Amino acid sequence: MTDEKIQLVPTSRFTIEQLTAIYNQTRVDYLVPMPMNAKRLAAYIADYDVDLEHSLVAMQGDELLGVAMLGVRAGRAWITRLGVLPNTRRGGVGKALMTGLIENAAKLNRNFVMLEVIKNNVPAHQLFLKLGFREVGELLVLRRPPIMPPPDPVVADAQRLEQLDALRLTSRARGAMPWTNQSETLINANEVSGLHITLADDSRGWLVYQRQKFTLTRFAYKTEVGNPTTVAYAFLSHLHHQYPRLDTQLENMQVNDPHLPAFYEMGYVESFRRIEMWLGDPPPNLNTPTGSETRIKVS
Amino acid sequence: MIKILLVEDMPDTVELVRRALSTYDYEVVHAPDAETGLELALEQRPSLILLDLGLPDYDGQTLAGWLRAESALADTPIIAFTAWPQETARKMVESYGCNGYIQKPILKVRDFVDQIESFIKAQ
Repeated sequence: MTDEKIQLVPTSRFTIEQLTAIYNQTRVDYLVPMPMNAKRLAAYIADYDVDLEHSLVAMQGDELLGVAMLGVRAGRAWITRLGVLPNTRRGGVGKALMTGLIENAAKLNRNFVMLEVIKNNVPAHQLFLKLGFREVGELLVLRRPPIMPPPDPVVADAQRLEQLDALRLTSRARGAMPWTNQSETLINANEVSGLHITLADDSRGWLVYQRQKFTLTRFAYKTEVGNPTTVAYAFLSHLHHQYPRLDTQLENMQVNDPHLPAFYEMGYVESFRRIEMWLGDPPPNLNTPTGSETRIKVS
Repeated sequence: MIKILLVEDMPDTVELVRRALSTYDYEVVHAPDAETGLELALEQRPSLILLDLGLPDYDGQTLAGWLRAESALADTPIIAFTAWPQETARKMVESYGCNGYIQKPILKVRDFVDQIESFIKAQ
């Protein structure tokens, strides 16, 4: 890098193919690289309400240095896909991008900013702490392989929920969930449906999910009455009985979620962990954690 | 010639694997993403599938699960090719029905080829 000033350019000035290429270049040496093609990045932008006018590419002259994106929803913003090209790291590019996004969020009157960082990504974690973000929770990325034998469904009254009914349930207050799991994500997604379960002892709860071509993903769930582990085991048994050949990916489940034992019992394995961090305070309508959404200090 | 299907999106790695294996008389068929990987696996019936876990359309685990579910590929070794920490790689390999994993990056070509050979012989 030269001493020339870093310029921050809105991502809207680039094509989706260019953004995909920049993003992938910033991740080539990551332990969990998570590359994307243009179609996948476009879906990511749409599902997570990424605002391309207020997201940024860092440049120096004609040289691309990095990228970072800003999701914008009512009363909150989210920083995601931050990446700096390997040969330009430690030159202030990440800090410039982050500062630019925080300023852009403030211009949009979003003073509450959320993000997640992969656990053990020390340089990024340290940068976020220096910029004033605080840790609010530890999140799990779980998977369940499709080769597992389908479970026997637990005896229960299981009602399928069509998209509209499913979304109605997720729209009820579920506290300040991680961005990826918020109601808006499910509203933006296709092929969303759900399952309402009532067990013989009147325990009950629901699960809403997205069914993609090869995967089940984007879970939202709640135990209305009863033991969360029992209710979760029941809805998962019905789900995986119904879709035995689909891979399942569960993003950002909180480590203290009382439903978690049921997921492990159903064959889910931990892929990796993230730390969730916040800058500012959530607006009152989001700051209503209930049960499983109560945050803990990370380990 | 023994045919290896390499599912990998990084051009430098593709080039390195292709060079390494062709030196030892393997034929390398390449798929840059998961959908192409599934298609080529069924069409080309390779002797071994070497599978990157981070692909641009679907990730490698999803593809491994799908490959494993195809009866035509039931006996084909699927080897994860990853830079993940050994413990994570081992867990994913076991869970998704892969036969093993080879750690990235390739440090010694001969060792890499020996690993490939041993997975083929184990079938």
